[in-house]
Amino acid sequence: MSDTIRVLTVDDSASMRALLRSALSSRGYQVSQAEDGVAALEWLADNGSHIDVIVTDINMPRMDGFGLIEALRGQSRFRDCPILVLSTESSDEKKARARSAGATGWIVKPFDADKLDTALRRVTH
Amino acid sequence: MQHNPELSIGSPNRVTVMQGQVYVGSGAPEILTTVLGSCIACCLYDPIARVGGMNHFLLAEPSAGSGTVADQNYGIFLMELLINQMMTRGGVKSRMKAHIYGGGNMHAGMTRIGDANARFALNFLAEEGIPVVRQDIGGESARRVDFDPVLGRTRCRHVEKVAVPAPKPIAQSVSGGDLELF
Repeated sequence: MSDTIRVLTVDDSASMRALLRSALSSRGYQVSQAEDGVAALEWLADNGSHIDVIVTDINMPRMDGFGLIEALRGQSRFRDCPILVLSTESSDEKKARARSAGATGWIVKPFDADKLDTALRRVTH
Repeated sequence: MQHNPELSIGSPNRVTVMQGQVYVGSGAPEILTTVLGSCIACCLYDPIARVGGMNHFLLAEPSAGSGTVADQNYGIFLMELLINQMMTRGGVKSRMKAHIYGGGNMHAGMTRIGDANARFALNFLAEEGIPVVRQDIGGESARRVDFDPVLGRTRCRHVEKVAVPAPKPIAQSVSGGDLELF
């Protein structure tokens, strides 16, 4: 892995994508973005070897975060890629479902940019 | 930080939405109500699913005119919470329409925090592609808003400032984002 961490953020909110791009780019990350699970899978099909960690929302149209995680864990090249959920949801039921799908961890919004930075460095090193 | 206003129900079918809260109608006849000074209330409605909800927020005073990252983070969080709860009740984001109220500048000579909050709400809705079908924002008045989440109807009245609860900008007190590893 290069020193620069390459992160794919998946969120249907344009405002949240802009906020994440700003917070992560300013901390040295190389940021790619997708607006839902389907768009993320399409992007990863072409660029999957160039990503170190994925941060995904849960509630999204077309394909939600659970579906995305399950689809990625079904592909050998993403079996070990860290996937963090970043969501307004915080119920034990949803967390259990994410854990079962293969998520690496869970962060509740609103996120703190420094804590997100720490979390991303922790799961990628 | 509270997001469940059910504790503040004043009568069986009137729900008071206080600052920092989000409430989406249950489908039963209800009126969501709130009183606003500098705060913003955003009412979203999906006319096909006939589901509606309201939030009520005040972002911290911006440091450089357009809000800090922390401000936007908290505002986006409360807007996203409202949208997600509506989706849980059958709402579809692309069908949602917005009404926004509040953002009054209540104290002459002080920072126009109401304007900053209104600007945030309008920018957010524009970025998300959610049309604003009605708005009553800015000025120096307090407002009382009633929203029927089944019919999507709102009523906004200008009221005496004394009726407004003291606002508490809380963005900077929000501390989320801890990693829970599985």
